[in-house]
Amino acid sequence: MSDIPPSAGPPATVAEKIFAFVDERVGLKQLTAKMLNESVPGGSRWAYVFGSILLFIFIMQALTGVLLMFYYVPTADHAYASTQYIIHDIDYGWFLLSYHFWGSSAMVVCVFAHMSQVFLWGAYKKPRELIWLVGLALFALVMGFGFTGYLLPWDQRAFWATTVGVEIMDKVPVIGDFMARFLKGGPTPGQMTLSRFFVIHVMVLPAALIGLAGLHLFLFRCAGPAGPFRGTPVELKAKTDYFFPRQIWKDVVGMAVVFACISALAFWEPVVLLDEATPDPGDYHPEPEWYFLFIFQHLRLRMFSGELGQIFGSIVGPGLLGLVLVFLPFFDRNPERNIFKRPIALIGWVVLTASILLFTVSAIINREFLD
Amino acid sequence: MQPQLKSKVRCADREVGEVTKVIMDPLSHEVSHLVVSMNGSGERQVSIAIVQAVTEDLVQLRSSSSEVIALPPFKREDYVTLHEVEIPGLERHIHVESGEVLVPLPELERNVERRTFFANLTYVTGLFIGLPLVYPVLKFLMNPMYASLDNRWLKVGNVAKVKAEDVGTQFQYKRRVKEAFMPESEIEKNVWVVKATPSVLEKVYQGKDMEFRDSAGKPIWTNKKDVPFLAFSGKCPHLGCGFKWRNHKVLGPVFLCPCHLSIYDASGKVLDGPAPRPLDLMPIQVSSSGEVQIIDMEFKAGTKSQTRIV
Repeated sequence: MSDIPPSAGPPATVAEKIFAFVDERVGLKQLTAKMLNESVPGGSRWAYVFGSILLFIFIMQALTGVLLMFYYVPTADHAYASTQYIIHDIDYGWFLLSYHFWGSSAMVVCVFAHMSQVFLWGAYKKPRELIWLVGLALFALVMGFGFTGYLLPWDQRAFWATTVGVEIMDKVPVIGDFMARFLKGGPTPGQMTLSRFFVIHVMVLPAALIGLAGLHLFLFRCAGPAGPFRGTPVELKAKTDYFFPRQIWKDVVGMAVVFACISALAFWEPVVLLDEATPDPGDYHPEPEWYFLFIFQHLRLRMFSGELGQIFGSIVGPGLLGLVLVFLPFFDRNPERNIFKRPIALIGWVVLTASILLFTVSAIINREFLD
Repeated sequence: MQPQLKSKVRCADREVGEVTKVIMDPLSHEVSHLVVSMNGSGERQVSIAIVQAVTEDLVQLRSSSSEVIALPPFKREDYVTLHEVEIPGLERHIHVESGEVLVPLPELERNVERRTFFANLTYVTGLFIGLPLVYPVLKFLMNPMYASLDNRWLKVGNVAKVKAEDVGTQFQYKRRVKEAFMPESEIEKNVWVVKATPSVLEKVYQGKDMEFRDSAGKPIWTNKKDVPFLAFSGKCPHLGCGFKWRNHKVLGPVFLCPCHLSIYDASGKVLDGPAPRPLDLMPIQVSSSGEVQIIDMEFKAGTKSQTRIV
């Protein structure tokens, strides 16, 4: 609490005077203290950095996204040209666009890490069920960001990822056709699709994410951090520290590392557009972004062939997995949080992670056999 | 009974002072220590364990006054107030009785009846504003979703491009589209044309002409079973990717979709992969000079039956 000026005596410097002025009106000192002095049972850890990192990545995505919108035009006849303009003609346009692009990948990686940490630590259990549920909704939003943002450059990669992605949505029984047409704004991808994806990407999803992330944090503060899964209350109490400074220090280091990684990727692997979008793929082999590759690849399996197989592979399977995650804190009511004493949870996580890796890698290997 | 602030503190032998602060355990939310001001000789931190009894305004300790005075002085800097720290659920769980702080209810708020009625009125007003908007907003968003089908013939090239029988040849063509407010533009599409041998034709048509109808059910064109030219929509019936004509190691020359590896023969039949139905045939006519014309059609992917969407 060394950053808060002492309450005794009249404020001396201008900064202190401003602080005192605001503090008198909004109780800034108490607010800051409440924000920073949150007990972390068992002490700060590197494993806890992912939530803060996700917030950081989101803020950077919002900033770079707003900057890109200074030049980007969401129309079928100018989206591609304006994106090329950003890349080739605007100072540092290539960097900001590439940062935004790689930032989305970083987001997905950190969401996976964050969810895995919560799952393995058993931190979704009572009384933290609501945090978990809101977290799942946030996960869905992040995937939605990835999917809608991918179309905006309006190149062949964008067009075909959207074509296939929306066709998958079309497979939802009964309402699939409506959903797909609603999203496309017509029978096939075109201007209406671009308009819709744009407004969803820059308005609807950010508004939803800001609201839900706020709720996520509020619920987290209501329940408090879960802490480690080992150790008696006395041991945990002995190691407890506050969010500031040790945990914040770790979070900040994590953010710096993530920033460096995204910047490095943007620098050495900047975004290069393919040809402008058109319903003739030419020599291009459609493929979604890497974090959707495992879904793409598993639909190649023979067991998911035919109309029914496809519904199972693309809707029922992922839908069931989603439902299991939603209901997880309600049927897993064993208070045991130690992952080494929860064999089903551990095996489930390992199998899911391994199969995602397996399908992703096999999709990448498959590429060379296609030409 | 919980200890209260300002309660007198009495040791086994005599009264020593009063309770000035209460220290709670952040995990159990229980009082762990009392801070006692020793009638002018500093403050001492007394464990709740040596409290023998608590009455309305008195805390009785087991220890003697000399034992309490011998405790180290209370160190305020080792503690923070409840206003400076976030303890989840504290308000709901705290067991320290600090007395009630009250605020008078405004005059007008006393004895207000029908509070539930007014609360419900708020919801009804909300519905009154919201419900009439549902239909217009839905129609607003749904406006472009269902476009009418276009049955114009489009020239796609000359059949001289087809060099061999039972081989897929891609014809690229441009189609003019006018979408909503956008200026008219051209999009590139493709169609696969196969000059079929009689055996392949038989596989495709199974002895029957193929009739195409519009959305109202009126016939628009019939592909005759003995015309050797077939036109396949360039959209894979699995999930809508564009497929190619490739040499497969085992199956020979085939249509192959790079997305999910559906494989079709020259008649469009599924040989391997996840596709739920054969390739989609389109209306085709070839003039005497060899000009190929098609009606551009697209069908919903991923279903066993054909549903035309374009």
